[in-house]
Amino acid sequence: MKGIHRIIVQNKRVKYDFEIRRNITVLRGDSATGKTNLIEMIREYANNGSNSSIELVCDKSCYILEGSTWQGQLSVMKDSIVFIDEGNPFVLTNEFATSIQQTDNYYVIVSRESLPNLPYSIEEIYGIRLSRKYGGLKQIYNEFYHIYGRPQPHEEIRPDVLITEDSNAGYQFFSGVCSEKVTCISANGKSGILGKMKEYGSDRIILVIADGAAFGSEMNRLDFYIREHSNIRLFLPESFEWMILDCGLIKNTDLATILASPSDYIESSEYFSWERFFTHLLSDMSKGTYLQYSKNKLNPSYLSDTVKNILCKCFSDIHL
Amino acid sequence: MLHIIFGDIEDAVYNTAVFFKNDYEDNWIIEPLVKEMIHDIDHSEVIDGGVIDSPVLGKIPPVGLSGGVKTLILVLFEPKKIFNASTCGDNCAKWLLKIAEKEDRTINLRHIMDFGENKFEIYVQNTGTIVHSMKELTDIAVDYV
Repeated sequence: MKGIHRIIVQNKRVKYDFEIRRNITVLRGDSATGKTNLIEMIREYANNGSNSSIELVCDKSCYILEGSTWQGQLSVMKDSIVFIDEGNPFVLTNEFATSIQQTDNYYVIVSRESLPNLPYSIEEIYGIRLSRKYGGLKQIYNEFYHIYGRPQPHEEIRPDVLITEDSNAGYQFFSGVCSEKVTCISANGKSGILGKMKEYGSDRIILVIADGAAFGSEMNRLDFYIREHSNIRLFLPESFEWMILDCGLIKNTDLATILASPSDYIESSEYFSWERFFTHLLSDMSKGTYLQYSKNKLNPSYLSDTVKNILCKCFSDIHL
Repeated sequence: MLHIIFGDIEDAVYNTAVFFKNDYEDNWIIEPLVKEMIHDIDHSEVIDGGVIDSPVLGKIPPVGLSGGVKTLILVLFEPKKIFNASTCGDNCAKWLLKIAEKEDRTINLRHIMDFGENKFEIYVQNTGTIVHSMKELTDIAVDYV
C-alpha cells in the first residue's frame, strides 16, 4: 500500500477523523481518550457494516486483528488498514514483525510498549484528543496529535561527544566532519545509544544523531532519560540518506516531488521503513556519478570540502 | 508502597481488560475511591454498581470503562495479582500511588510512566531499590523497558 489514507469513523455520539501515512502507526497517551472505543467502532463496522449504525469512510478496508488466531486472520487481509488494540501480546513477537513485513497493509497499533521489533517512525506515534473544531456540538469530535515532534536543535549546539546510530556511511561521514575537539562514536544500532549516553556521563554535551524513520521504539525511554539529563540533545532526520537527498546535492527532476510526499512513492510491502526506501533511492539516483552512494563504505567524494559544506548546511546549528 | 517490576515478566496479567470483564464485582464500582478514579480519569459518574454515566458514551456498564480505570480497579481489589499497568496512561499514575499508600501493591510496567514532579516512594523490584523521583526511577527503568 502507498499513500495517505483518511479515515472518518462516527456514530451519533463520537467522531474520529485522522490520516494514516506510513505502514506502522502507534497510538498511546493518557487513559480514557478513546483509543479502545475507536477500535471497538471499527470492529463493529467490519462485522456489521452500515447495520451497526456506524459510518466509516476510507478508501481502504479497515479490519481488527486480535487474539490467538491472528495469523489466520492476517492471511486474508490485503491492501487494508489493520487496527490492533492493546492486550494482544503477539505484537511483541518476531513472528508478527516478519509476517507484516510481507504484507501490503498499513497497521495501527495501540500500545505504550516500545515494540522494538517494529521499525516505526517518531512521527507516527500519536495520541487522541478532543478537537475544538466543532466545539458545542452534541457529537464529540476526536483527532490525532503527535506525541513527539521531530527533535532537532533549535539552538546552536557545540557537542563534546557525537553518537551516531549508524556504524557505516553515516558514521564515517560524521567522523570525517568532526573537529578534533569532538569525540565521534557509533552506537552500532539504535538499541546501543542509551549505553553510549551513560558511558559518556553528564559532564559533556552529547548529541545523538539517529534515523527518525525507524526510531519510534526508543522514544519513550530516551524522552524520559533526556528530560533528566540536560546535557543530551537529539537530532533525528528521517535518515542520513534522506539528508543527502534533501540538501540539493543530487540532481534529479523527480526528487523534489518524491521528498514532498514520500507516502505516495513508498510501497509498504517493499520497504518496511522509509529509511530503506531513501537508501535505495539515493543509491539509484547517484549511480554512475561522482556521488555514487554505498551504505557500507562512504564514497570519499562526500568528504570533499564542497560536498561536505553543502551537507553541513542541513544542520547549520550544530557545530562539529 | 507501590512496587514496580519493569520489563517483560511471565506471571503478570497482560490483558487486563479481559481479566476485568470476567472478574469485577458490582460492589467494587460503588467504593468511594473507585468513584473518584472514574470521575477523574473517565469524567464519568457512577450511578450504581452496574451503570456508569459517561459524557461521551451515555449509560455504560463497568466493562465500558477505560482500560486504565479497569486496571486501577483490579490493582485495588486483587492485591495478590500482578497486572500489566502499561494499560494505564500517565493520568493513572497518581492513583497507583494512592492505592498503594495503605497497603503494598506490585505492578508490571513495560514502558516508563510519568509519576510527576513531586517526591514519591516506589520500590523497584528489578534492582531492589527505593526511588523518590522520576530521575531516580528513569535511571533504573531505561535498562528494562
